[in-house]
Amino acid sequence: MKCSRCRDLAEIALPSHHAGFCRPCFLEYFSRQVEKAVRHHRMFGRGDRILVALSGGKDSLALFRELRHQGYDATGLFVDLAIPGSSDAARAVVEGFCASLGAPLLVADMAAEGLPIPLVKAKVKRPICSVCGKVKRHYFNRTALEHGFTVLATGHNLDDEVGRLFSNVLRWDAAYLSDTGPVLPAESGFARKVKPLCRLTEYETAAYCFFRDIPHHVAACPYSGGASFTVRKQLMNGLEKESPGSKQAFYEGFLERARHAFAALEQEKGQVLAPCVECGCPTSAELCGVCRLRRQVGEGGQG
Amino acid sequence: MITVRITPGDRVLTFDRLNTVLQLLNKLGLGMTDALVARDGVLLTPDRKLRRGDELTVRVVVSRG
Repeated sequence: MKCSRCRDLAEIALPSHHAGFCRPCFLEYFSRQVEKAVRHHRMFGRGDRILVALSGGKDSLALFRELRHQGYDATGLFVDLAIPGSSDAARAVVEGFCASLGAPLLVADMAAEGLPIPLVKAKVKRPICSVCGKVKRHYFNRTALEHGFTVLATGHNLDDEVGRLFSNVLRWDAAYLSDTGPVLPAESGFARKVKPLCRLTEYETAAYCFFRDIPHHVAACPYSGGASFTVRKQLMNGLEKESPGSKQAFYEGFLERARHAFAALEQEKGQVLAPCVECGCPTSAELCGVCRLRRQVGEGGQG
Repeated sequence: MITVRITPGDRVLTFDRLNTVLQLLNKLGLGMTDALVARDGVLLTPDRKLRRGDELTVRVVVSRG
């Protein structure tokens, strides 16, 4: 196969684009996809201070590398969940990577915050992935606001976005569908959130890491076995194999033609938010979910 | 003989006869964009021919949480 741009030998085939690329042309393509997402969705500009949530996985590290490469003012954030056999390894990868780039890194330590995930898992009956996700989002947002960042960026790629959309469509979850998309504007108590990799698949971010020689944490979280989200991703991959381009069409079609209807519905019927009495983060109750969780973990109750 | 190291997991498989990368992916039950296939630090597209004595790395890219 030859490169679609320069006719040199291709190293990567992208069936959804009916294209193949050599290494330099793929890296150019990757940068342009990020630029296009940032510009089309008006994610941020040169004057913004961007906090990038880093898990140690390929997507977040690829995003951080690319934003720094494009000259943006980007700082990394690692939330250390204190999961044995996972968090230490991921943290070492993130710290090493940021040091190699000469990039600043902030760390939110859940053990120091009284919320180590193994203890949370032992005390809470709800699925741990959902609780852990809530804790991470809370600290992403809180760190961004407390440190004066104007944008919070995550490494969610097209596969993540399509998997989430598919899941929410299956349940017709209007609240989640209303905020599905690559940009969530800043609102009272919430930082602006963006997903600059929304036009790129995880295959493409993996290839980017391979070409850029970015070491990343590949072991799955020991608590995530059988997560339904992964199963839905696999279903969508089967569809993409039969009909290349269907993931992007599904996602972009939703953003263009359906999201606004769910956003309007949510504005009409959604919950009213007020600052948490303990930490000030927006919540529909007196205490936000994370402060309730901290109390529950501290008191030894079950919920 | 073609030697294939599959990551994550670090499994090693050998195949007596494989003509192309696509054949390898099919044998492993993987789609074209489920894994990166590399030989000597270079990625191979599915149409690339394989040779006896090749040592390949297959890096499965689907994240699992």
